[in-house]
Amino acid sequence: MLNHDPVETRESWGLFSWICSVDHKRIGIMYMMLATFFLFVGGFEALLIRAQLAIPMNDFVSPKMYNQLFTLHGTTMIFLVGMPVFTGFSNFIVPLMIGAKDVAFPRLNALSFWMLPFGGVLLYFSFFSGSAPDAGWFSYAPLSTKPFSSLPGVDYWIIGLAVMGIGSVSGAINIVATVICCRAPGMSMQRMPLFAWIMFMQAVLIVITIPPLNSALAMLLIDRWLGAAFFEPARGGNAVLWQHFFWIFGHPEVYVFALPSFAIVSEVIPVFSRKPIYGYSFVAGSSAVIVLLSYTVWAHHMFAVGLGMWPDIFFAATTMLIALPTGVKIFNWTATLWGGSIQLTTAMLFAIAFLIQFVIGGLTGIMFAAVPVDWQLTDTYFVVAHFHYVLVGGIVFSLFAATYYWFPKITGRMLNERLGKFQFWIWVVGFNATFGVQHFLGLMGMPRRIYQYDDYPGWYLLNLISSIGAGLMAIGTLVLVWNIVRSLRHGTVAGRNPWKGFTLEWSTTSPPPLENFDELPEIRSRRPVWDRDNPELADWKTEKTPEDKGYRPPACKVSAWAFVISEAIFFILLLVSYVVFNSNSGENAEGPTASTALDVPRTGVFTLVLLSSSLTFWIAEHCLRRQKMGAFKIWLSFTILLGCAFIGGQIWEYTGLISDGITINRNLFASTFFTVTGFHGLHVTGGIIALSIMLIMASRGYLNAKRSPVFAAVGVYWHFVDVVWIAVFSIIYLGYLQ
Amino acid sequence: MIWTPELWHWMSPVWWVVGLILVVYFVMFRPIQPARLIALLLGLLFLSMAYVSPVGYLADGFIFSAHMVQHLLMLLVVPLCLLLSLPRKQPKRAADSSDKVPALKLIATIGWIGGVGAMWFWHVPSLCTLSTETFTVGLLRDTSFLLAGLIFWWPIYGPLERTRLEPPVGVLYLFTACLGCSLLGIYITFTSTVVCPVFATPADSLGILAQLQAAGLTPAVDQNIGGLLMWIPPCMLYTGAIISLLARWYTSVDHDHSTTTAARLT
Ligand code: HEM
Ligand SMILES: [Cu+2]
Repeated sequence: MLNHDPVETRESWGLFSWICSVDHKRIGIMYMMLATFFLFVGGFEALLIRAQLAIPMNDFVSPKMYNQLFTLHGTTMIFLVGMPVFTGFSNFIVPLMIGAKDVAFPRLNALSFWMLPFGGVLLYFSFFSGSAPDAGWFSYAPLSTKPFSSLPGVDYWIIGLAVMGIGSVSGAINIVATVICCRAPGMSMQRMPLFAWIMFMQAVLIVITIPPLNSALAMLLIDRWLGAAFFEPARGGNAVLWQHFFWIFGHPEVYVFALPSFAIVSEVIPVFSRKPIYGYSFVAGSSAVIVLLSYTVWAHHMFAVGLGMWPDIFFAATTMLIALPTGVKIFNWTATLWGGSIQLTTAMLFAIAFLIQFVIGGLTGIMFAAVPVDWQLTDTYFVVAHFHYVLVGGIVFSLFAATYYWFPKITGRMLNERLGKFQFWIWVVGFNATFGVQHFLGLMGMPRRIYQYDDYPGWYLLNLISSIGAGLMAIGTLVLVWNIVRSLRHGTVAGRNPWKGFTLEWSTTSPPPLENFDELPEIRSRRPVWDRDNPELADWKTEKTPEDKGYRPPACKVSAWAFVISEAIFFILLLVSYVVFNSNSGENAEGPTASTALDVPRTGVFTLVLLSSSLTFWIAEHCLRRQKMGAFKIWLSFTILLGCAFIGGQIWEYTGLISDGITINRNLFASTFFTVTGFHGLHVTGGIIALSIMLIMASRGYLNAKRSPVFAAVGVYWHFVDVVWIAVFSIIYLGYLQ
Repeated sequence: MIWTPELWHWMSPVWWVVGLILVVYFVMFRPIQPARLIALLLGLLFLSMAYVSPVGYLADGFIFSAHMVQHLLMLLVVPLCLLLSLPRKQPKRAADSSDKVPALKLIATIGWIGGVGAMWFWHVPSLCTLSTETFTVGLLRDTSFLLAGLIFWWPIYGPLERTRLEPPVGVLYLFTACLGCSLLGIYITFTSTVVCPVFATPADSLGILAQLQAAGLTPAVDQNIGGLLMWIPPCMLYTGAIISLLARWYTSVDHDHSTTTAARLT
């Protein structure tokens, strides 16, 4: 993939050329523009919220409208602003930083991008259907189930999120494959700029964190459309399960946002301190550790649910633990500033403000980790203050730093520094006014998500300050927009390296040409551009970094593995729900159960059929590598037939069950059974289609030994589907774990 | 209360194992390096305490979470210490993927399945009860834990450079192992099924159990804690191992010159 032909050759700037573009830089820019657009939408919603709350007992918007506003505000900011804007930066900058010509899969990249506006339109279309979603950005059950939200708003929310989620995962897989497979010679993984490394970690985190959301969404949709009752306690379901699934996604998701801002300040602070980062390996390593740890703390969002004392204690402990790698990074950045020759550019100002405000947000987070404190403050404005300090004071500020820092590279022109500093100060004041006072409101007991409040002592004043602050942030944003519009026309021409940056993106022209580089400097350390410009002070003379051993696995195989891991997590959560709902069916056995409804020996035979298809696939792969095309086609056809036979068996089983009156809405056994096996069946079908495409390609002569990695990638998927079935069979049919 | 003499099993046969290991170690691995010897002694301490201390006594059909502590020691901690106590064979030149044994993938797969599988296997309710009630099955279980632990840690901390995974792959190995034991831990924590029925109806020969139950350690809470122990501490241990792998990775500049003590020990 490293040497693929340029997918686009002509430079052109028409609208159509953007829509059809597969160039990573243009796609990156489109991501950013999409995010900006939705930033205005979400920001407008926020302003309406603040207008409503500016004075006590206001009736500017109706309660229903208010619920819709905060639901859409949260959903928009998370999924249509935060996710795309960072993916945009990642898309634009990461390939440049690692010296690649493009991402690993340019066309997939374009597809992933276009999923997002599609999902966004679905989400907002709900307005025209007459009912926007209004169950909060986390759509807690049972509020989000049919009996309590009968209008289609929640359905649009589910489908919009699912579409955007799939787009995010495929975009992230692309980044993973790009980083692993497309690095320029000399760029070992341990030499990557921190931005590239941390964005790589962020992509990994997206790959594993979206699937739990997708499982939950699928189950909620099945509840709402097919009459199952996963999340309806009244019919035996379990509403707390939704919270678990949502926060298994939700907490790592906050790190999907936090990691990019770590990535940004890890570039901006060293460049404007004229020093290499202090403790590179610590910053890099702790980002990897955060990916792991972020998966172990989700229940700190559920302290008030009543999980029991011991789970609370353990989750409090892990939550405090995860603050460690984050906290020590703060010291790394501060130590980088220490003794540096600091240049207070706008980008640097935003980065420093990030540091301070993020620390405040982190500290209130640690307060919540103490369970009794959480019980007191949960669902008050203190929570709102906490997460806006991290999300806005931390992440949005770092985003502005990134904007000022990379705008010259992206457009070729500098942003105006005076306007920039003006915007900075407006934002500092506006932000702290808006959210700082909310700490006090929270401590005074003002609940979040209320549309009106009585004029208790101090509430009016504090809320008013908060609303005025929000207005200031809006004005600051307009200053930025004006700055961008003006600078695009009249800004100083940037040249290649206006900031004297250290990393590869600064070695090419601004904006970079279609294929990114005319020539690359030699990469012998973490700061190749610095080395080239200051040969006598070059980093590699003083500090050795691990050499590049030149190993680049095939991109299609890497992405197949990433995809399979993502899907595995999806299935694991579905299986968890099966176990949850079927583990003590003895007591409330009403209707069919696994032991009464399923024909285990028959399915056992079909299990063998499916497993043997893995064997035939393996033989086919061997034939392909030895270029025995005839034998290859025969074994491949066998594999397809075995797959079809398995699906046939499933259809047989389903018809039998349905004719016995066992349908998906019959009871929780039936719901979980059909959900798990149904999704598995869909995956087998997808595999069969992929295999058939391979067969067609082979018979047309497109598939040969040289392309065997593509086939191997399909194989990773096919074997995966079999492994999932082994788990399904032993848990559902053999009753392991019950 | 933990000092009640009845809870300490000073005459446990585990001392024979400890002694045997010590003898073998001193015969085979001369000259002795102090850092490695410390690892060995720590390992032996944990091994003996898993049986001699109240953990061993209470694990024997009284308290599920004590039984879980014993498992974790046998499967994770003791093997890790034992592996770290072995002297390392340094390769001649800088490590590089071509030096790795071809069967490494297989070794790692077996190690992973062994390490994660052992936990899942022995917590099938009937096996869990059987192994607690029957001495020989229990012995089999504990030996299998120790062996599974050794092969699990082998690709990470084994003494041969050639059979160690590249650090990034090792990170993946440990990460997925963490997911594996998390799932079991989550299941044990939140399920209403009694995972190990013997612990629900223990024979309270010493009368401590009544005391513990009065302090709130009912069988349900006990299982709760057991599940959490299965879930969080292993993940934290793996995280620690991941950190050491990353440190190894970032400092893998060259192997032929002197390496730091820390790097030599891990
Ligand atoms: C030092 C690290 C952090 C700790 C210890 C921490 C802890 C917590 C806790 C315990 C809660 C639950 C409060 C409650 O609802 O009662 C919470 C909520 C939240 N945190 Fe953090 N947090 C940390 C960092 C972050 C970061 C970096 C982000 C975002 C990038 C973030 C975003 C959020 C959000 C969005 C919520 C509220 C979700 C909701 O209820 O809608 N936190 N945090
Ligand atoms: Cu959280």
